[in-house]
Amino acid sequence: MGNNRPKLANGFVAFVKKDCPTCELIVPVLEHLTESQVLRTIFTQDDPSFPNLPITSDDTSLEVSFLHEIETVPTLLKIQDGVEVDRTVGWSQETWKAFLGIDNLGPGNIRPYSPGCGSLSVDPDLQGILQKKYGSGVASREVVFASAEDEFEAMYDRGWSDGLPLIPPTIERVKAMLAGSERRPDEVIAVVPPNLVDLTVEKVAINAVMAGCKPEYLPVVITALETACTDQFNMHGLLATTMPVGPVIFINGPIRKSIGMNSGMNLLGQGNRANSTIGRAVQLTIRNVGGGRPGEVDRATHGSPAKYGLCFAEDEEGSPWPSYAQDLGFSANQNTVTLFPGEGPRMIVDQLSRSPDELARSLAKGIIGNIHPKLVMGFDAILIIGPEHASRFAEAGWTKDQVNEEIINHSIRETDELIRGADGISEGLPEVFAGSTLPKLRPGGGLIILHGGGAAGLFSATIGGWITGDKGSIYQTREITL
Amino acid sequence: MTTSVLDPTDEQTPEHRERAKRISTLEGATIGLLDISKPRGDVFLDTVQSLLEQKGATVVRYIKPTFTKPAPVDLRHEISTTCDAVIEALAD
Amino acid sequence: MHDISDLERRGTPGVFVASAPFISAAETQSNALGFPPAGLFTEHPIQDRTDEEMKVLAEKIFDDLVKALLA
Repeated sequence: MGNNRPKLANGFVAFVKKDCPTCELIVPVLEHLTESQVLRTIFTQDDPSFPNLPITSDDTSLEVSFLHEIETVPTLLKIQDGVEVDRTVGWSQETWKAFLGIDNLGPGNIRPYSPGCGSLSVDPDLQGILQKKYGSGVASREVVFASAEDEFEAMYDRGWSDGLPLIPPTIERVKAMLAGSERRPDEVIAVVPPNLVDLTVEKVAINAVMAGCKPEYLPVVITALETACTDQFNMHGLLATTMPVGPVIFINGPIRKSIGMNSGMNLLGQGNRANSTIGRAVQLTIRNVGGGRPGEVDRATHGSPAKYGLCFAEDEEGSPWPSYAQDLGFSANQNTVTLFPGEGPRMIVDQLSRSPDELARSLAKGIIGNIHPKLVMGFDAILIIGPEHASRFAEAGWTKDQVNEEIINHSIRETDELIRGADGISEGLPEVFAGSTLPKLRPGGGLIILHGGGAAGLFSATIGGWITGDKGSIYQTREITL
Repeated sequence: MTTSVLDPTDEQTPEHRERAKRISTLEGATIGLLDISKPRGDVFLDTVQSLLEQKGATVVRYIKPTFTKPAPVDLRHEISTTCDAVIEALAD
Repeated sequence: MHDISDLERRGTPGVFVASAPFISAAETQSNALGFPPAGLFTEHPIQDRTDEEMKVLAEKIFDDLVKALLA
């Protein structure tokens, strides 16, 4: 729909309104130009009988004026092949002669110059109505529901929902959503799997409306989708796997606070609009634009409630350490989104450890259970350390790097306990690994430590990852583009 | 009430609701015949049944209590879980 | 038509048969539901037909019925 201007006949056309003294002034000129067949059409905005000429055309609906962005009357347009190639605004005898390429404008005794008046189509009182009526400015197809269709049921019927109700993506809501980003609606930001479809900002906005996002969340959703659709993150693999994983999204930087995200109590749970809807918007976009639907390309055996969308913010203010983004070299003023291929979260309780070393051992034990206690190295993990656990480390002067290193050290296992058949369990490492040791998590990146959660509770939470590396997914961080 | 929204998909499918996927053959299929309880409908459906059976389909007959209302939800559930396809007749 | 609409929503393909005067009612309802169920129409009236006549009606429409159910 990009250009929805009505095509006009080739030649010159004029836009006037009766309520404009300049237009009244030049009626003799318009008469002459009509008789001499220089003008094809005169669009009149307020009185279909003004001027009273055979080529006067009723534009009291203002559709033509609005779509041709007429700001002043009189305006002359030069039309070639149905589209405007030039225009002149207001009345100037000399300019009109040059514009029309003629020497004679008829009666010579009228004022040679008058600036004209505002076009009715830019009247502030009418803007909203005209915008709504004619100015779709959107490229997406409009879906019109039938009269007896319930709008909410209609969206379910078309397969757009993840199972929860959706907000109807009306043009007004989508436009309001688009105002949340500085990016152009037609910008292609990614190619979405599994169907490898070009994803425009506008399609993201439509799905973000349905998910319940506010416009200010849109930049986060867009950047998350850009990240999800990279080769390294491998969203296609995440969709197609039988494992219960999806893009786990966490946010760093000031935008967390400005859009009201929760990084404290219940940060992984319900109740916060931004946390609840950003991840959902990402998943809905992949479902609707990319075609990634459960039971089709999505082959998850059990899935996870986290696949509705799992998004949270790191608690930077309460953390004894620099943020995750700062660890990567971003400044405290930069906003980032990180996507981690993960399952739903699981808690690790430790209410008794007093020393940092005890606690590191204890948290390592908790993480060892991820995926399967006998499977190591292939799966990364997030550890969200709760404030009470974090203070145990901080009081002892441990840096985050130190905590990370110690937890990985304490996750080292005797491979004799991990090989196939050990412990009476077939699942495990191939025999060749026997007689050695291996950590649960690969050193140098196998563990992401974040700070977050409520002030009370000697708990942390872990999120187990999907297969890491080229055969699976590599977690990614990007700066959020506003 | 909302009457129009923007399409959130890649627009490769029709904008109206699509029909359910059709079956590929009658051979071995279970076809439900839903009698809406109007006079003579049963005779019509008897013929349809024997023709379907000649084509190798298994036929299950259902009668809805009254033609004036949609079939009860249990009946619709039973049809959808038992049958591969359904024929409803005969409105007159 | 509501039955077929619901059964289709449950994934079961369906077709309804009605007599000719129902064509416009079916169209109206189909437009209102935003869903075009497969429908076939027989000659009207039905209720006074003999068994033999009903049988002929069914035989005449059978091929179209099958077509409406098959992909």
